[in-house]
Amino acid sequence: MVNDGKQKTGADSQGKTDAGQGGTRDAIVRRRPLLKAAGAGTGLALTAGCLDSFAGSDGGGRQELDGPLKIGVLAPEPANDPIGASIANGARLAAQQLTENGGVDGYDVEVTVKDTKENPGTGKQKYQEFILDDEVHATTGIFTSEVLLNVLDDIADQGKVHLTTGAATPEASARVHENYDEYKYHFRTGPINAYHLGTNLVDFGEAMFDEMGWEQIAVLVEDYEWTRPVSQALDDQLGDTGVEVVMRERYASGTENFTPIYDEVESTGADAVLTAMAHTGTPAVVQWARQQRGFEFGGIHVPMQLPSYSAATEGACQFGITQNSATPKSEVTEKTVPFANAYQSEFGSAPVYTGYITFDAVKQYAQAVSSAGYVSSDEVVTELEDSSYRGTAGTIEYYGPDHEYAHDVKYGQDTVWPLFQQWQDGSQEVIYPENLATADYASPPWI
Amino acid sequence: MVDVATLAVNSVIISALYALVAIGFTLIFGVGGVLNLSHGATITLGAFAAYYASGGIVEAGVGGAVLAAIVVPALFSAAVYKGLIERIQDQPVMVMILTLVVAIAVEQVFLVAEGTQPKSIPSLLDGTVALGGSKFQTNLLVVFALSWVIIAGLFYTINNTETGKAILATSMTTKGAALVGIESDRVNLYTWVVAGGLAGVAGLFLGSFQTANFAMGRGPLMLSFAIVVIGGIGSVKGSLVGAYVIGTAEVVTGAINTRLTGLVPLLLLILVLLVKPEGLFGRELAE
Repeated sequence: MVNDGKQKTGADSQGKTDAGQGGTRDAIVRRRPLLKAAGAGTGLALTAGCLDSFAGSDGGGRQELDGPLKIGVLAPEPANDPIGASIANGARLAAQQLTENGGVDGYDVEVTVKDTKENPGTGKQKYQEFILDDEVHATTGIFTSEVLLNVLDDIADQGKVHLTTGAATPEASARVHENYDEYKYHFRTGPINAYHLGTNLVDFGEAMFDEMGWEQIAVLVEDYEWTRPVSQALDDQLGDTGVEVVMRERYASGTENFTPIYDEVESTGADAVLTAMAHTGTPAVVQWARQQRGFEFGGIHVPMQLPSYSAATEGACQFGITQNSATPKSEVTEKTVPFANAYQSEFGSAPVYTGYITFDAVKQYAQAVSSAGYVSSDEVVTELEDSSYRGTAGTIEYYGPDHEYAHDVKYGQDTVWPLFQQWQDGSQEVIYPENLATADYASPPWI
Repeated sequence: MVDVATLAVNSVIISALYALVAIGFTLIFGVGGVLNLSHGATITLGAFAAYYASGGIVEAGVGGAVLAAIVVPALFSAAVYKGLIERIQDQPVMVMILTLVVAIAVEQVFLVAEGTQPKSIPSLLDGTVALGGSKFQTNLLVVFALSWVIIAGLFYTINNTETGKAILATSMTTKGAALVGIESDRVNLYTWVVAGGLAGVAGLFLGSFQTANFAMGRGPLMLSFAIVVIGGIGSVKGSLVGAYVIGTAEVVTGAINTRLTGLVPLLLLILVLLVKPEGLFGRELAE
């Protein structure tokens, strides 16, 4: 998107031919090093200035909304993957409701969805298409941390607000904290960052392990970027809960045969495995249930958050526990159930956690644009920093620039405090926190 | 530390499954000299055929799932041979390209149709059995027993039936077989059908053990390479031994460090290629 007359001219003149577009894309990629070179007095100042005009940085003055509010949504496999579909549909539903209720400053809200394919290169390319072809005002989505880290520099270069609604790596907020002026456009609406995901597991453990009879636990974490901070948090804090950690394993990404891992868990005599699994979660839980392993199972297990998961695994997920942002029947806030119902009637299925978060992100962004009175990024960033938005997954507030997790959603009982659900009789029953609980914890019958 | 009895039983079970995975691959290479890179995709097809027949589309029970897992991949394999490979089987590079394209196409079809989330396939038999102080999944024991029944049946067929002997003769020398009146195209078609059926059953077993997903054929294809090279390219007996070498090595290294299991087949592959390139039971192809 371009914001002033000079920038618009540059974009228009380049955008009409293929060659021109290619040149613009290259300009985006090269802009940062070229700017640095220019700054170092290499005589490239003129070139850098030209590229800046193509890249359409938001650094210019204030700009009021003068047409539809355009939001780009980056989702993984939105046609095939429930997590990606929820990101896309959560955004669509928010835009639809906003438009039906008068829009933002009288203008419609439009969302466009593009597929990242969970690939960092594709994610970067799609982000650039949003900026150059679709001229969006802001972007949201991105589920995979590796994709987010690859797009962060483009977000900084373009100066467009991005609200992450899936990727949990705190590396993003660390960059905002360390280089605020450049990276301030990045916000994480949810989930809580990966270190806090681990902290939340520990908080759950302190409240519930005793009651559940989990005295000795084995920590099983899949080896992906997002789980490193989770492991760190568990290493830092799990000892304080009073449980004995008898095994810690970061098993290889792509693991499909869990037999050797489960044999080892059983040989340690652990009461339960505490998990952090997303990509490898299904074979893990199916083999645990089918083999009726002698330990209980729960923690963070992303596939188990899917409302249709019991049917997909033929009941293998029964008695498994996972952290979740919300379930279709849990009243995390007064907006949770109405959103889940609206989503169900619009799309014919219940949303996954990324749906709640993306819905909140789009609505909060629209509210920030409306309250700021401007759509230009610097004004919206300030507005979002001061915002306290009551969403479907909690009260969305962001840590300030001085916090080590700058612009991450705040973790806490008054802001965002995930729930823990257990699959019982084909239904997602909340077992923690107490005020949302719909059932008591139940041990698997074979234990 | 996991006890030795558990490791031994795990090795025996997983190796039988690996043998089933690799035998179709080695049959096609041994008989037709074709490096079939769509072997993994056929395994995926078997798993999904079982998934569709066991409630995914129709509810045909375990029997229906087994039947679908054999018939659909066998027909698919026959179609790949007759439609694509038959006319270019003397061009190894073209064969590799075409079978790779088939593999990718099958993956993409299942990605689009089923998404990225793994699917659970019903167990052949539910429950667990205690053996030697350890508990084992009944399903895995059934997989082990059926794998051996199928492998034994294959050996019997090859050594004692007319069609089997024709397959054996063609694998030794196509020209010699032709001289005694064996139609190599027909034998090749039989081989592809049998290999497809075996791969399909392997897919069903793998799927019921680990779950099924669009990319599940990649690992078995790599495994087949390693097993076939270790056993000796084209040797069914060698594949069986190779499967046990790899299966046991995987289980033992898994007990030491689970992260190493994927690396073991590849290290063994390199080792055999360097020290004994013809494999344990390999022989020079007669021409």
